Amino acid sequence: MSDNLNDPNISRRSFLSAAIWSIGGVIALSLGIPSLIYIMGPALKRNQAQDEWVSLGSKSKVEMGTPTLFKTTIKRQTGWITNEEELSVYVETDDGRDYIALSNICTHLGCRVRWITDRDEFFCPCHNGVFDKVGKVVSGPPPRPLNQYETKIVDDQILIKVS
Amino acid sequence: MTTRIGNWLDERFSWRQVWNAIFIRKVPKTNWLYTLGSASLFVAVNQIVTGILLTFYYVPTPDHAYDSVSYITTQVPMGWFIRGLHHWGASAMVVLVILHMIRVIYYGAYKFPREVTWFTGVFLLLVTIGFGFTGYLLPWDQKAYWATTVGTRIAGTPPFIGDFILRIVRGGEELSAVTLARFFGVHVWVLPATLLLLVGIHLYLVVRIGISSVPKKGE
Repeated sequence: MSDNLNDPNISRRSFLSAAIWSIGGVIALSLGIPSLIYIMGPALKRNQAQDEWVSLGSKSKVEMGTPTLFKTTIKRQTGWITNEEELSVYVETDDGRDYIALSNICTHLGCRVRWITDRDEFFCPCHNGVFDKVGKVVSGPPPRPLNQYETKIVDDQILIKVS
Repeated sequence: MTTRIGNWLDERFSWRQVWNAIFIRKVPKTNWLYTLGSASLFVAVNQIVTGILLTFYYVPTPDHAYDSVSYITTQVPMGWFIRGLHHWGASAMVVLVILHMIRVIYYGAYKFPREVTWFTGVFLLLVTIGFGFTGYLLPWDQKAYWATTVGTRIAGTPPFIGDFILRIVRGGEELSAVTLARFFGVHVWVLPATLLLLVGIHLYLVVRIGISSVPKKGE
């Protein structure tokens, strides 16, 4: 844009050229910005599902001192699809009053751990991760203890808080 | 900076020559009706961009099509905007292409030496209508379903070969998942490829031959 805008011989051409580029720019931006929002929006959206108390079953099923497996299903919304997702939770108590609920998903790479009664520990078959009965890492690659759910007992039912 | 990059590239493949041939060419004195072709091209670009964006979320199967479209419209941020541009752009495209064609007929611009430009234009009109017909089914709502039921039934009316055509268009006897999938395939692959090829020829000829001037009285 070396043309001098005050020069009457060039002003028309350079004005129109500048006008075309600016209008084009405005159109490109008014499509480009919404496009980026459109592409990134759902990807960046955090799971807004509200915390919900889910009942696992009667507390009498839990053997004292041994993690017991409970299964339940929860609904999860991904995109336009609502899925029923199975949730497996180990519940453990030492005194019948305080209960802890552990996720059975290994904190290493997401395999499912299982309770080995003979050895008194959780074992992950994928990479030999071992956790004790309250979820602490005993050996193997897992970086942190098994995830815990908040629990409460209502009418002898064990409830966990799922987000 | 941009001038230097421009010069560097120009020294290598003299793109300015091509740029000038396209944009700095001489044109006869014209009027606003001569912008209808460019307007059609502009809307076509809009349809391509918004159409590509819609495929990020749209799924062309009977169990997902309707839900994914309503997900785009109600859940995805700016989804209503992108889909709206594609929806209204489709109608605008048909209107603009027809107006452009009427201008060409009215000014006799289809005559020698521009017949081939005209032929490609006629096929471009058919491609545009094809886009409209196939795109209408994709939301998979009641309107889409019954409009395509009627549309494909009309395609099946010719004697002797009608039933054959109907089966090809529907991908079977009934309107089904097969129909939806092939309409999608035609809408996003076959027609865009055809459109780009024809627009390429059309524009090459417009630039190569130059445009006709407004005919004078008695011409």
